[in-house]
Amino acid sequence: MSGKSPRFDRDMPLADLLRAVPRPRLLAALTRTLGSVWRIVDADGNCVLEPEADALAGVATVGIPLRVDIEDVARLEAPEQRRALAEAAARWLELVLVSGHRYLMAADLHAETVSADFETLQRQHAALQESEARYRALAEQLDRRVQEQVAVIERTQRQLYVAEKLASVGSLAAGMAHEINNPLGFIRSNLGTAQSYGAKMGEVLAAFRRGDAAAAGALWDRLDMDFVLEDFPGLLAESTSGADRVARIVANLKAYSNIDCDTAAPVDLNQAVHAAAEVLAGQVPANVNVELALGELPVLFCDLSRMNQVMFALLQNAFHALDANGGTIRIESGVDGNAVRVAISDTGCGIDPHLLGRIFDPFFTTRDVGKGMGLGLTVSRDIVTAHGGRIEVASTPGRGSVFSVWLPLDRGAPARHPGESNEGVQ
Amino acid sequence: MAELDEQRQRLTVKLLYYGPALSGKTTNLTRLHDLLSAERVGDMMTLETEGDRTLFFDLLPFGFTAPSGLLIKFKLFTVPGQVVHDSTRKALLSRADGVIFVADSQRNQALNNGVSFDNLAANAGILGIDLARLPLVVQFNKRDLPEVLSEHEIRERWARAPWPLCFASALKGSGVLESFSALLKKVYAPLDEAFALQSGHGVSEAAFVAAAGGRP
Repeated sequence: MSGKSPRFDRDMPLADLLRAVPRPRLLAALTRTLGSVWRIVDADGNCVLEPEADALAGVATVGIPLRVDIEDVARLEAPEQRRALAEAAARWLELVLVSGHRYLMAADLHAETVSADFETLQRQHAALQESEARYRALAEQLDRRVQEQVAVIERTQRQLYVAEKLASVGSLAAGMAHEINNPLGFIRSNLGTAQSYGAKMGEVLAAFRRGDAAAAGALWDRLDMDFVLEDFPGLLAESTSGADRVARIVANLKAYSNIDCDTAAPVDLNQAVHAAAEVLAGQVPANVNVELALGELPVLFCDLSRMNQVMFALLQNAFHALDANGGTIRIESGVDGNAVRVAISDTGCGIDPHLLGRIFDPFFTTRDVGKGMGLGLTVSRDIVTAHGGRIEVASTPGRGSVFSVWLPLDRGAPARHPGESNEGVQ
Repeated sequence: MAELDEQRQRLTVKLLYYGPALSGKTTNLTRLHDLLSAERVGDMMTLETEGDRTLFFDLLPFGFTAPSGLLIKFKLFTVPGQVVHDSTRKALLSRADGVIFVADSQRNQALNNGVSFDNLAANAGILGIDLARLPLVVQFNKRDLPEVLSEHEIRERWARAPWPLCFASALKGSGVLESFSALLKKVYAPLDEAFALQSGHGVSEAAFVAAAGGRP
């Protein structure tokens, strides 16, 4: 068992047995019985207790053995003539020693079992601590892994967001390409025609310059110069208008170019509506009717490129809500109390009531894989919220949806003279 | 293991009554105290009881002096049988030289006997005592009671166990000395091997059993 506590079942020497007895009282009791001439000697002959030093010197003594268990552990020595008293005292002394023995055995056994129990407890405690430490380490590890996963998810979300933006820029670019290609096509064709007209004019003018009126007249008729002269200015005018159209598209694109730029400026929200509508116009088939009912709006202090983004997302959604049979998209704007309200309604498929609560969630989309990331409304709401406004939706499945954007008017605009604004509406 | 004190010429041997609660360990010890004819028999020491139940242990010291002058001293203990006193049982079992397992013969006590024997085996394992080499005698006590397993049944159940089986009625005194003598015989060999009882001290097995108060 434990090496710390003494073994309870050891053979106990006299010194141990006497430890359990109060010495002064033992001394006093024996002296009262035997006088001051006596002593107790252990098994090896050493004196362990006597009332006075060398009390028995020169006296004829008798030694009476003191037995504990089956062994003589000591002797009580006294003068020969007090033998009877000494015998009686020795029996009492034996009782005292035996009871000391009992007490020590019980005490040591108790100490031994307690120490064994304590060791067991300590072992269990150590095992518990170890397992607790293991679980703590596991929890920390799990926590770390959760953090890592969260970081991965956040990174992926950002990447998806960027991808979504790139995708919308891509579809924008495709629309733009189509839009620019059209006027470019007829401008090029017109220029080709103009080139042939120029050659014809050159021929006729050369004939006139030679003074050969008859040949010139014949040439005039053959080359149908009457038609050329009539067609030429129209051709140029048409080309000029085509070039203007390209210039306008490029100007709209510029509104999207600094999409991450957090610059607030005085803005007429109708401008954002126009820009978005024009960007989408190229993608809208003939059977889709886009109605604008734009009221006069006060100048709003906000980030135009962000507002363009919101209007574009809402219009794109409205357009996607319409099926092949077309329908109507209506954009209204006006002042509603202390806010500017822009409402974009469509006559499309509408939104299922059980999906209404999720449409603003990131990556929630009802479109096919690859057709939409599900970030348009999320980003739009973030932008509108950042400007202190709100987006609301009302929808009837099969009838269509209305998305309304409110932007507050009382957002503190920096002190700037309205004249500095180049947006023409106050 | 027994302990030799060369200076005092004393060999102390520790023996144990083990077994379930109320199987008659203390009764065995009390009867043995009355029956024992060893050269020296000390007083029986009882340490705390609660009713009839031992809380710490009982101790009977006895012994004899070998021709060589060596005092061979036996300390015979009983363990507390109740399950809760397992730590005390373990402390008592440590360094034991021999064990008498006192089982209760009554039919309804078979389970308690088994649990207690398993406890003996488990504690021996914890203390590093090889139960196969520990001198052990199994005593079926309370043969005087009516509802007991027959000797035949018991022998059948214990047929594969290597230990000597004894039958006793400690209350009436029968079988107590026989069980004790059977243990003395088993204890002699390892002691002789370790302390040269025969060659060094002139104590044969028969002399050992007889001087310790057993029956040959």
